[in-house]
Amino acid sequence: MAREITYIAAIMEGIHQEMSRDEDVLLIGQSVGGSPEDPFVAAFGPDRVRVTPISETAEIGMAAGAALAGKRPVVDCTMAEFLLVAMDQVVNEANRFHYMSGGRVTAPLVLKAGYGFTAGWAGQHTGSIYGMFMGVPGLKVALPSTPADAKGLMATAIRDDNPVLFLHHYLLTLETGDVPEGEHLVPFGQAAIVRPGTDVTLVATGWTVHRALEAAEELAADGVSVEVIDPRTIAPLDVDTVLASVERTGRLVLVDQATRHASVSAIIAAEVAEAGFASLRAPIVQVTALDAPIAYSKPMEDFVLPDVAKIVAGVRRAVDATVPHDAATAVR
Amino acid sequence: MTASVHRDVSTAAPTPDVLRDLLTTMWRIRAFEERVGALKRADEVHGLIHLSIGGEGVAAAVCRQLRDGDAVYSGHRAHGHAVAKGTPLDRTMAELMGREDGLCSGMGGSMHLVDVAHGFLGATGVVGGNIPLALGSALAAKQRGTDAVAVVFFGDGAVQAGLFTESVNLATLWRLPVLLVCENNGFAEFTPRSAHTTVERVSDVVAPYPLPRTTVDGNEVGEVWSAFSELLARARAGEGPALLECLTHRLRGHYEGDPDRYREAVSTEDWQRKDPILRLQRAGHDAGWLAADEPAALEAAARAEVDEAVAWARSSPFPAVARAAALVESGGAR
Amino acid sequence: MSTNSQDRVEMFRTMVRIREFEERVKRTFAEHPGVIRGHTHLADGAEASIVGSIAAIRPGDQVMATYRCHGYPIALGTDTTAMMAEIYGRSNGLCGGYGGSMHLADPERGFLGTSGIVGQSIPQATGAAYAAQVRRAGEVVLCFFGDGASKQGAFHESLNIASLWKLPIVFVMENNSYSVSVRVEQEDANAAAGEPLATKAKAYSMPGVTIDGGDPDVVYETVAEAVSRARAGEGPTLVESLVYRLSAHGNSIAPPGVPLHYPEHEAVTVFGDVAEYEAAKRGDPVPRFRGALVTGGVLDAARADAIVAEAADEMQRAVDGALAGPEPEPADALRFVHA
Repeated sequence: MAREITYIAAIMEGIHQEMSRDEDVLLIGQSVGGSPEDPFVAAFGPDRVRVTPISETAEIGMAAGAALAGKRPVVDCTMAEFLLVAMDQVVNEANRFHYMSGGRVTAPLVLKAGYGFTAGWAGQHTGSIYGMFMGVPGLKVALPSTPADAKGLMATAIRDDNPVLFLHHYLLTLETGDVPEGEHLVPFGQAAIVRPGTDVTLVATGWTVHRALEAAEELAADGVSVEVIDPRTIAPLDVDTVLASVERTGRLVLVDQATRHASVSAIIAAEVAEAGFASLRAPIVQVTALDAPIAYSKPMEDFVLPDVAKIVAGVRRAVDATVPHDAATAVR
Repeated sequence: MTASVHRDVSTAAPTPDVLRDLLTTMWRIRAFEERVGALKRADEVHGLIHLSIGGEGVAAAVCRQLRDGDAVYSGHRAHGHAVAKGTPLDRTMAELMGREDGLCSGMGGSMHLVDVAHGFLGATGVVGGNIPLALGSALAAKQRGTDAVAVVFFGDGAVQAGLFTESVNLATLWRLPVLLVCENNGFAEFTPRSAHTTVERVSDVVAPYPLPRTTVDGNEVGEVWSAFSELLARARAGEGPALLECLTHRLRGHYEGDPDRYREAVSTEDWQRKDPILRLQRAGHDAGWLAADEPAALEAAARAEVDEAVAWARSSPFPAVARAAALVESGGAR
Repeated sequence: MSTNSQDRVEMFRTMVRIREFEERVKRTFAEHPGVIRGHTHLADGAEASIVGSIAAIRPGDQVMATYRCHGYPIALGTDTTAMMAEIYGRSNGLCGGYGGSMHLADPERGFLGTSGIVGQSIPQATGAAYAAQVRRAGEVVLCFFGDGASKQGAFHESLNIASLWKLPIVFVMENNSYSVSVRVEQEDANAAAGEPLATKAKAYSMPGVTIDGGDPDVVYETVAEAVSRARAGEGPTLVESLVYRLSAHGNSIAPPGVPLHYPEHEAVTVFGDVAEYEAAKRGDPVPRFRGALVTGGVLDAARADAIVAEAADEMQRAVDGALAGPEPEPADALRFVHA
C-alpha cells in the first residue's frame, strides 16, 4: 500500500520503523527529543531519543563510540555545513575503524543532514558539499530525491553496518509522493532511471532531478527524447547504469547543484570518459553551480545555481555538438 | 588570580546623558527590528531572520562604549549589535532587503552583516563561530601595540561547543584583549539550557579559568554598562580577557516563523517588567532625567528614522548578477 | 578500598610486563631496523597509572584510549605476541597488520579502540558509555587521554554531555606535562596559573581529583571509587593522574629510507632540562613499586626477579613470534573497507 506523504515525513517514518524493529537504533541531535511529547520520545523513551547541546564533535564522536559498543545511532546533524565543525569525526574516525582493526570492530551509524537550501539562507547554510564526502573510504553517502527513496534509503542506511551520510535536500522537504506504508528498503549503489529516453542521458541528484524532469518535458515537445537517471547514492556510485544508458544515447549531460570541481557530475563524467568513450558521440556537458558561495540576494542566488533553462541549454549543446559515428573515428 | 569579579557596580554608573543616549540607541534597534519583522512577513526581507527584540539593552550598553577601531563580532542574532555599533540604518536595511547598496551589496544578508568602517566585523550563521575570530582581532591589536579590543557576542548555546573552551583557554593564556559577552536567554535553538548542560550560569562554565567573569541582569541597562566598562578598562590596560554574562529573555521565536511552541508562555505583564526599554524609561522617569513626554518622542523619532531607511533601501536596485561571480576572487570590489 | 597482597603483586607483574614490552618495541628500532614503520608512542613511565586504573574495572567494562595505547590491552589480557606482530605490521597481528601501533583494538576484552587524533576518542568513549547506560547491565567505560587533549573542544563537549546524562564513564587524564615538545604551562591557562588541570571538572559539575599516577595503589583506590560512582548511576569523574613518560613523544618521523630511532626526551632536547629528566628516572614507578612491595614484605627480591625474568621471556617470544609472522597479502588491502 502506498499513500502520499511528504519527503520529510517519509524520512522520519523510515527512522521510526527501524527504531521499532531494532531496539539498538538510537536517535540523537540538537533538534531531537526536546520534550516528552515528541513522538519519538513517546514511542521509544528518553534512553533512545536524546537532545544534545550544540556539540557536533561530541555528537558524532559519541555515535561512533556507541556504534563500537553495539548500538546503531542516527545523529540528526541538522545541516550538512554543521558536519564541518566535526570533520575529523565524520571522515577520519568511524569510517576507518573496521579497516584499521582488520575487521574486528564495526561502526554502524547514520548522519542525517539537510543540504541545498536556497531561499535567502545565504552563504553558510546553502551549500551542496557532498563532494567532500565522496571517495572517503568506508563512508557511504545517500542523496534521495523522492519521498519513497528517502524512506527506503534511510531504512537501508540504518541497517547498513557502515557509517552512512544521509543527505536530504531542503527544497524537497514538503514535496509529496507515493510512499509504501510498511517496510521499504532501497538498495545502495543502484541508480534509478526515472524517465526513459533515447537521445540524451541526463544525470541529476536531489532537487535537480525534478528540474531535469521539467527540462525533459520541455525538450520532448521539440522532439528530443531525454533519459533522466538519479544515482540515489553517490557512494557507492552506480556508474554501470549510466554507462549502459550512454551506450544507447551517445550523449551525456550531468546536472549538479554543487560547484564544478566538488560535484558528483565531475566524477561521473570522468568515469564515462574513461569507460564509455566509444559510446560518446558528443562531448560530455556539465551543468553545475558556478564557483561562488550562494549570495543572499535572489538575483545573484539564481545566477549561480542550475535551473531548468540552463539544463535545457546544456542538452541542446550536447545535441548540437553531436558528431556522426563515422566522422567520430576520422583522424583530425 | 580569582576568577570571580564581584564589584559594587554603582561606582561606575552611567550618567543621565549616557542613559539617554542608550535609550535612543535602544529605540533605534527596537524600531528597526519590529519593522524587519513586518517586512519579513511581507516577503520584502527573506531568508533566516533572528530578531534582537529584548536584547537592545545589552547591545547598546556594550557597543556604545566602543570605538570604530574596536572589532565587534556577533552571531546570527546580529542586527541589534550592528546598529548599536554604528552601522547605518539605511545600508543595513538595504542589506536585509538584498539590495545593491546594502552593507554587503546584498551578498550576505541578515546573518552575514559586515561593516569594516564601523568595526562590525561580522555576524555568523554558525553558533559560536566568531569567537575564535574575535581572538584573532584581539591578537592583532595586541601585536600592533594599540589599546583596541575585540568584543564577541554569543548566546548560551555556544558555550557547550568545543570551540568555546578552546578560545577561553587561549585568550587567557595569551592575555588577549577580547571581551566575551554572553547573552544567556536560557534557550539554545528550541530547547532550554537545562537540556544542554548541568551548569546554569555561563560564568560557572569558565570558572576553572583564571579570567574575570561577571553575571548581570541583561535587562538592566545601567548594570550592563557599569559591568562592561570595568572589564573594558582592564582589557585596554593589557590585563587580558573577561566574560560578561547578561541574563536576558528574547520575545519572539528562535527565528521568525517559529511557532514558538517550545517556549514557556511569557505573559504580557511579565514582559512589561522585563522589557529593557520600558525599564530604563521607568528608571529615567523616577530619577527625573526623563520627562513624561520623551518616551513617545524617542519612539516616534526612531520609527521615522527607520521609515527613511526603508524608503532608501527600496530605492536601491537589486544587484547585477555578474557581481556574484566577480566577487568570488578576492581582490574584487572592496 | 584497597587491593590485597596478591592483587598488588599482580599489578606489579603487569607493570613489569608493560615496561618490558615497551622496551622491546624501542629496541626493535636498533636491533631490527626497518621492521617497525611509522610512528610508535610508548607508555613507559605510565605503567602504574594504567595498571591501577584497569585493576578497578571488570570484564564487560570498556576502555578507549589514545595512540599511546600499548599498555591498556596488556593490562586487559591481550596476547602480547599478537600485539607485537601488529606493531610489526604482520598478518598474525592483533588487527591483521591493518592498524599498527596507534590503532590496537581488542573488543572481546573491552578495548574498543583508539584515535590517532588528539582528543577524538573522548567523545567516542562517551558514546560507548551512553550505550552502556542504555543497556542497563551495569557496565562502565574508562576513557584515557593526555593533558594535551584537555584543550580540544572534544574534551569540553564530551564532559558536558557525560555529566548532563550522568553517563557511566571515568575520564582518566594522564598528565605527563608534555604535548609532544610543548610544556603544559605553555599551552594551558590553568597550568600557567599554577593550578591542577583537574580544576577543569568544575565546569561540568563533576568531581575532579589530581593524584600521583606513579603509585598504583593510589590510582587503584581513586579510579575504583570513580568506577563505583559511575556504576551506581552517579555520573562521571575526572581523574588527573600525574605521570612522566620516560621516552620521547615517539620515534623520529622520517621519509622512507631514513632509519627511524627514538630520540632523547624533549625535556633534554628542547628545554635542556637534564635535571628534570634525571629526577623523573629516579622516580620511575616500576622500581618504586617494587621497592614498596619488597619493603612491605609483600614480595621478596627473588620473586620480583622471577617476575622480571618471566616478562623478559614473554616479550622475547612476542618479538620472535612477530618477526616470524608473515606479511599480509597485498590484495588484502581491499578487505574490510566496508563491513
